[in-house]
Amino acid sequence: MAACSRRLSRYLSSGLLRGIQRCQLSSLSRPALSQQQLMEKENDSGSEDLFKARVHLGHKEGSLDPCMHPFIFGSRLGHLIIDLDQTSQHLREALNFTAHIAYRGGIILFVCRNPQFQHLVENTAKDCGEYAHTRFWQGGILTNSTIQFGCETRLPDLVIFINTLNNVLTQHTAVRDAAKMLIPTVGIVDTNCNPNLITYPVPGNDDTPSAVKLYCDLFKNAILRGKEKRKEEL
Amino acid sequence: MIIRQLLRSPGVVLQGPSKTPLSVIPWIQGKCWNSNIAETPRPESSEAAVAAGQLDAGKSTAKLSKAMKAYIERAKSHDAFMFEQISEYEIGRRHLANMMGEDPETFTQEDIDNAIAYLLPSGLFEPKARPLMKHPTEVFPKRKAAEFDESGRPFHTLFYTGRPAYYQVLHDITTHVQNLDRFADRMVRYSISKDKERTLNLGSSIWVSKEQLESIIVESIQDRHYDFFIKSMNRLADHPYSYRVEEFILKFRKSISSSSQQEIPKLLFTTEGVPYMNASGSRKTAKADVTVYGRGTGKITINGQDILYFKNPQEREQVVFPLQFTEMLGTVDVDAEVKEGGSSGQAGAVRHGIALALRSFVDKEMVEKMRLAGLLTSIPPRRFPQRFGAKETLTELGFCGRCANYPDPPFSFLSQLFS
Repeated sequence: MAACSRRLSRYLSSGLLRGIQRCQLSSLSRPALSQQQLMEKENDSGSEDLFKARVHLGHKEGSLDPCMHPFIFGSRLGHLIIDLDQTSQHLREALNFTAHIAYRGGIILFVCRNPQFQHLVENTAKDCGEYAHTRFWQGGILTNSTIQFGCETRLPDLVIFINTLNNVLTQHTAVRDAAKMLIPTVGIVDTNCNPNLITYPVPGNDDTPSAVKLYCDLFKNAILRGKEKRKEEL
Repeated sequence: MIIRQLLRSPGVVLQGPSKTPLSVIPWIQGKCWNSNIAETPRPESSEAAVAAGQLDAGKSTAKLSKAMKAYIERAKSHDAFMFEQISEYEIGRRHLANMMGEDPETFTQEDIDNAIAYLLPSGLFEPKARPLMKHPTEVFPKRKAAEFDESGRPFHTLFYTGRPAYYQVLHDITTHVQNLDRFADRMVRYSISKDKERTLNLGSSIWVSKEQLESIIVESIQDRHYDFFIKSMNRLADHPYSYRVEEFILKFRKSISSSSQQEIPKLLFTTEGVPYMNASGSRKTAKADVTVYGRGTGKITINGQDILYFKNPQEREQVVFPLQFTEMLGTVDVDAEVKEGGSSGQAGAVRHGIALALRSFVDKEMVEKMRLAGLLTSIPPRRFPQRFGAKETLTELGFCGRCANYPDPPFSFLSQLFS
């Protein structure tokens, strides 16, 4: 148990609030890994944790969204396997970005429409002092907030999707609305999701409890670390 | 720290809304496929960026967010408005007191209402349309309290759902259910059987209504939200170990017995020392004023006449029933005055009056028994719905000339037909 948490914290700290150069991504094609990146890859034990949490398990081949094709490692007996090397990279970037937003005092909104993890996500948001929306999404929350909330409200500075689909398995309205309102998004995209409108997609399993718990812990710790750094700086 | 250095790197000047937040930290380029969009500024987040920048510069006070600024402006103007209205009201109140010849210091709201009704008599039917002079806090809607702090961050985690209090309740229900399940698992593991005596008994209460729930959580909800809330609460209450969260459940339960638990008036005494009690009963359109005297012989007087005032033996039985029920038939005297209504209604009104008066003579258990027997409830007169194209008699019986829904006629009607 202690060993596992040590590994996790190593995974978090290796990319968080450091490795600034690697965040520069201007195209789909990945640039060649620098020496530092290669070094970090050697020390990278993150993929093992992801594998243990079953993050690599995708849905069946028939439900594959064509945009998710680059993130797939392969398939086994009709079940898709997500490339954990890519996942670990994307996750690192996403966590780094989240930590930066938290450091800057931004409002972070967790969104998850899967009833199985509703309670967990709400608790995660509460534990790190951020916000959650795991209920029916009323249309004007981001695009018509003044009328929706009755007063001028500050919109979230980051929206984190634990599941980018809603409970009828179509894309969550908030993905499109956040893009409309120029709010950066981080999203766990499964094999049946469309990652196009998400700023920092993280290809991974969004249906297994162990995977979702891992994501929640990672995001929570990233936010808490960002806030801690902010307190230290003040 | 690297981040601070980067924030202060040359070429980056933290200014007003024209500068984008993302350009402040040059290494982050938004991964939007349309890079033009990433450059466009967003007013809200730029404020936050400015705030963060100022924080880094060493200032402890963050600049207010636009949301908070707007709120403070509105709050100030509302406060000024209310102050004006209240001072006008006070002046008006004193003037009114002088007009009525009363002391302005002790002129209460009730006095104001009476004075207005006297000075400005209104023949209007709708009470809300009549002249009104109430304290401005009652007249003008309350301003919504600030739900976010100075930097615009909302206080409640579930603020963005639009119904934070309601969803917080649902969240709490889930937490409780999960905790109870864990407890139940522990009980099973240690082979401890469920303590039947501690099972939560909710027989004497019902779930709060939608309006009551709205007042508890101070939030307006729709019917489907209320229905889901009831389902969730039932799920929690049905848990075998729900007694552990009794306090939480009872917050949303309304006791049914307490609503009818009116204070039973104490017995009054005549000059001779005879205990008696007054009560008014009603049934259909009949109203009865009943006085029951203790230490009596079972004399019954209705409108000056004997029990034979009622021609029908069924009606006489109705009058006598509460006395039989409480076994006080020969021990009390009854004096009733009944008006309006027909024979059956009058009998019911007298019965109701006697039962209400008898409450003071009997103990609590008997009162509860009477309540369960339906002796203490006044049945309101039946109202028939408006039917189209139907005669009065037909309307009463539920016939409708317009629609084809003919209900079964009551047998008494048939007897009248054939008599």
